[in-house]
Amino acid sequence: MRRILATSLFAVIAGVWVAGCGGAKTAQSNGPAPIRVWHWMTDREDAFNELAKRYKEETGQEVSFELYAPTDIYEQKVRAAAQTDGLPEIYGILGEMRGLASFIQAGHVRSLEDVMSADGDAWRNVFFPKALAVNAFQPNNTYGVEPGVYGVPIDVMSIQLYYNKKLLAKLGLDPNQPPQTWEDFMQVGKLAKEQGLIGFVSGWAELWLIDCYATTYAIHTMGMEKVQQTYEGQVAYTDPDWQRVFGLFSEMRDSGMLAEGIVTMVNKRAEQLFANEQAVFAFNGTWGINVYDTMNPNLDYGIMLPPRVGNNEVVTWGGAGSSFFVNAKSDRQDASIAFLKWLTDVPQQKYLLEQTKNIPANRVAAADLPEKLQAFAKVIDAAIHPRLFALQEDSKVIETFDKGVQSILIGESTADQVSQKVAQAKEREASRQAKLAEANGQR
Amino acid sequence: MTPKLRNWLGYLGWHLLCIPVAVTCAFPLVWMISSSLKTQQTVFSDYSVIPSHPQFINYATAWTKGKFGIYFVNSLVYTAVIVVGVVAFAALAAYAFSRFTFKGSNFLYKLLLSTMLIPIPGAFVALYILVDHMGLIDQGTNQWLPRLGYILPQINAGLPFGIFLLKPFFDKIPKELEESAKVDGAGTLGVFWHIMLPLARPALGVVALLTSLAAWNEFLWALLVFSRHELMPLQRGLYAFHGAHLTDYPLLMAGMVISILPIVIVYLLMQRTFVQGITAGALKG
Repeated sequence: MRRILATSLFAVIAGVWVAGCGGAKTAQSNGPAPIRVWHWMTDREDAFNELAKRYKEETGQEVSFELYAPTDIYEQKVRAAAQTDGLPEIYGILGEMRGLASFIQAGHVRSLEDVMSADGDAWRNVFFPKALAVNAFQPNNTYGVEPGVYGVPIDVMSIQLYYNKKLLAKLGLDPNQPPQTWEDFMQVGKLAKEQGLIGFVSGWAELWLIDCYATTYAIHTMGMEKVQQTYEGQVAYTDPDWQRVFGLFSEMRDSGMLAEGIVTMVNKRAEQLFANEQAVFAFNGTWGINVYDTMNPNLDYGIMLPPRVGNNEVVTWGGAGSSFFVNAKSDRQDASIAFLKWLTDVPQQKYLLEQTKNIPANRVAAADLPEKLQAFAKVIDAAIHPRLFALQEDSKVIETFDKGVQSILIGESTADQVSQKVAQAKEREASRQAKLAEANGQR
Repeated sequence: MTPKLRNWLGYLGWHLLCIPVAVTCAFPLVWMISSSLKTQQTVFSDYSVIPSHPQFINYATAWTKGKFGIYFVNSLVYTAVIVVGVVAFAALAAYAFSRFTFKGSNFLYKLLLSTMLIPIPGAFVALYILVDHMGLIDQGTNQWLPRLGYILPQINAGLPFGIFLLKPFFDKIPKELEESAKVDGAGTLGVFWHIMLPLARPALGVVALLTSLAAWNEFLWALLVFSRHELMPLQRGLYAFHGAHLTDYPLLMAGMVISILPIVIVYLLMQRTFVQGITAGALKG
């Protein structure tokens, strides 16, 4: 009897499944074939689907958004699809500039330079220049990629410090006057520690966030030129300016302001602590506004640039948040570009702003932003992004650098020891590169 | 000390050891159910196990927003086909390895087992290329071929473990039983079907349960093979609540409770067989 019941149940499920599948197929059979879009932003699925619906109503062209998370498996999917020429019409590429360069050189990304330049740069002028620049290659770039714009940004982001106004008041400070200098910042950190609060939180288990904070202060204290000279090997990481940068992390540790376990903390956990009003400061990106508002709508916070060390202005990380690329092997490139033009037009960008609370890449759509987003938007033009550096640091040196900072934060190493270690890693990489170049030359 | 007191102390000691273990095992489940009944705001501020205003609506929202209606049925069918495939082929292969000696059989058996050492995610790109050459990657048109592309590698991946579990079980069944059946006129397949399979039922139950667990929770391969959401399994629905920046924890937890229910039911139904399978030595390998 049980066997009959089980067989019948399976037959019913299979029947429903087959019937359901048949319906799905016929629903797709009208109009031109859909433009397929792959991306990793699953939290924007509803907004994208709504826009796809509107686009179909306006043009008759179906667009199918397929969003995949987590990002590491998305990367695998895109790489595997690229190897079999199975990429969709539009897709996103994660990672560094060299990754994008390899996709371009393999013929998977269409250059958008011609369409950006058409009609007197009409489409190009729509965007924040920084947002386009992170998807562009300059003449004589080190990757050997033909210069031009390759990606279409849909939003922009920057990373700054969030501060909790209620907690600042609790510490006896003016909630509308957060500390502007490093010394004041350390003082607030000490006060927070004394009162049993977390002074500073960030997801510093994620190395890129450490790198972001450190690069911000490296450029702030020694200037972009000297940072680039370091990447070129002309300035050593043992230089006093670099030791000062490492020293800032030691000072943060010694002040007691850091959240416990900060080097093993992912950013989502750090966001929870700030949203729960347990931390005074959080180093986080534009997306934090949406995250904090969702977790705790009553959170009273402000946004500020990281505090100054000395008299220079602080320039923080920023540029394109998410971008789309057009498959150069697709036979529907024009239709894909038409859709991307529509997606980056003002009404659609405003809709995305309402739904996702990210700064639109379209400058006109970003002209009238809520106050908190304005704090991020106003620094975009001056923002820095590693993709914009003329020369990038070697990934192994970056890793040694970031892990070294982590070891400072947990008290395992001093700033001096880490600067030595990073300098050694830099020398090793330079020597390896030289040997490689020599071997290539002989060949 | 009286024997009664000694027994009582023994029980007490045993329970003092077991209770923390049981609590540790059950707590994540309790926390998951509790979080599924909270709001996005209270999940980070209200640490009580029973929320003051339980949000049962989260389950309905998770079901509709996560498109569980489609994914749930997909997962049921995928899991059923994979389990049937693994059990059938693993049983046949294990029986062959156990009863027939042919040139290189031992080497072949060990070669097959060695594939268990290959982590599947590490082989994804190679597997993707292979399945693509077979025309089984989702290209947005045919829907049956990609489903096959999802199912076949999982049957393949489940076979070594299934064979590893079943072969020792078949080894232990006395050959006299087979010989008697053959005297009564049964062929090789007849012996396998009428004698070996019924005797190996506990071990088959273990293989079925472990395979269904793996197939039900599979997600990464689905992301690589499928492009259309209507072909995806249930785990894809959970990622609707798990964004790059924002995670909707109550809906994620409600979705997880929904997703584990079938596998808990399968386990409860097969619990006796599972325990028999283990105690009968199926896991001695």
